[in-house]
Amino acid sequence: MPQITYIEPSGEAKTFQLQEGWSLLQGASLHAIDGIVGECGGACGCGTCHCYVEAARLHELPAPEGKELEMLDFVAAERRPNSRLACQIKATAELDGLVVHLPEVQD
Amino acid sequence: MFTFDPYSPAIDADPFPYYKRLRDEFPCFWSPEAQMWVLSRYVDIVSAGQDWQTYSSASGNLMTELPGRAGATLGSSDPPRHDRLRGLIQHAFMKRNLMALEEPIRDVAKQVFAQLWGVGQFDFKDVSSQFTVKVLMAALGLPMGDEALVDEKEVRDNAVLMVQSDARTRAKGPEHIAAYNWVQEYASKVIAMRRAEPRNDLISHFAMAEIDGDRLDEREVLLTTTTLIMAGVESLGGFMMMFAYNLASFHESRQAVVEKPELLVDAIEESLRYNTSAQRFRRRLMKDVALHGQTMKAGDFVCLAYGSGNRDERQYPNPDLYDIHRKPRGHLGFGGGVHACLGTAIARLAVKIAFEEFHKVVPDYQRIADQLAWMPSSTFRSPLVLELARI
Repeated sequence: MPQITYIEPSGEAKTFQLQEGWSLLQGASLHAIDGIVGECGGACGCGTCHCYVEAARLHELPAPEGKELEMLDFVAAERRPNSRLACQIKATAELDGLVVHLPEVQD
Repeated sequence: MFTFDPYSPAIDADPFPYYKRLRDEFPCFWSPEAQMWVLSRYVDIVSAGQDWQTYSSASGNLMTELPGRAGATLGSSDPPRHDRLRGLIQHAFMKRNLMALEEPIRDVAKQVFAQLWGVGQFDFKDVSSQFTVKVLMAALGLPMGDEALVDEKEVRDNAVLMVQSDARTRAKGPEHIAAYNWVQEYASKVIAMRRAEPRNDLISHFAMAEIDGDRLDEREVLLTTTTLIMAGVESLGGFMMMFAYNLASFHESRQAVVEKPELLVDAIEESLRYNTSAQRFRRRLMKDVALHGQTMKAGDFVCLAYGSGNRDERQYPNPDLYDIHRKPRGHLGFGGGVHACLGTAIARLAVKIAFEEFHKVVPDYQRIADQLAWMPSSTFRSPLVLELARI
């Protein structure tokens, strides 16, 4: 199971093993991570699971598609080149060790 | 021998002891009565919901599916078609686009709950159903007032009936099919009306929409609109009944939210976890899956028991306690993954406003009956009648 590190807005790092196939949002919900909401339940419909993926590994993720790009236009915190929605990133063995930063605001 | 029959009145009334045995002893259980597998643990349900390639919705998502519906609605289709269909509707339901509805919803709530001034005892359904139909009509742009095609009460009665099923035949009865046909007929008249003279409302946009240059299939437009009406009326109404039921049963929680209405937000989340009306949905396997020592075969149907996942002690400590301060993360009250409920934001908004206004008129109340009549449904759970009395 890949290990994912979430950096909460406070700066605290929390590392968990995630079931393969689960989204980073589901992993965050399971472990009650701060700084992420996922109001729509993970359907790419609200832009409240915004996260910043460590830039050096961004290329390892499948690129965001139409719906995610559209929703990224609506995120509450600053949108950056490494902005992604956690509900659209699935944990895979290759992503082991990935670090994502969570923004101050989601809503 | 243990059985789990989602058609039995015992499950309608109280599925939770059965869920616990399922989770502890039979986490991958074949129900001969339902003719499907039942997944009941939080982790298994989330995993299945995430893996739409394996757990397909295209053969229908209601436990007892309505004829001709599978494949033509959001809930009963798979990506990529599902995503494109959802993309057409999603915007209208995003939180930021609902701001304009906040005042109309509050006006409806004030008007509906004002009827309870001076009333000592009442069926909560009478007021909640008036509220939900009016909110839905405003949200979807259904014809109202002078333009109205039918009586609001008929919309409510038929939407509620179409989700029910017959306990004896384990299928939809003629009355359920007739209700389904009535809502379809109504939807089709609204669609024709909005096509003739489009407005800036959801159904006008949807009825005229195209996916990749193709107009939507007529069946998709009709059945998706039918489902929006069903979900808007029945699911919102059912959840409001469950929320009122909880607040009438747990006095300290009610007193807390009446004293501090800002706590309603957390109380709503806990109710979504604790006993939401959307208890069980269905998927169909696209390949063999081995789980907990069983092999489920390609083509088999699988029930995702969201209501059980929400009570899984592996995920939520002390799960049978209704605790409005719990702030349950990742609950399955709206399902999850690609098929998570489209109406999460409007449901949260409408229920919060409704109870803020309800509590201004009736701050202290209790249930009259200990035993309630529960709706016969393999998918949803809520009481048919909820008699409340002021304390």
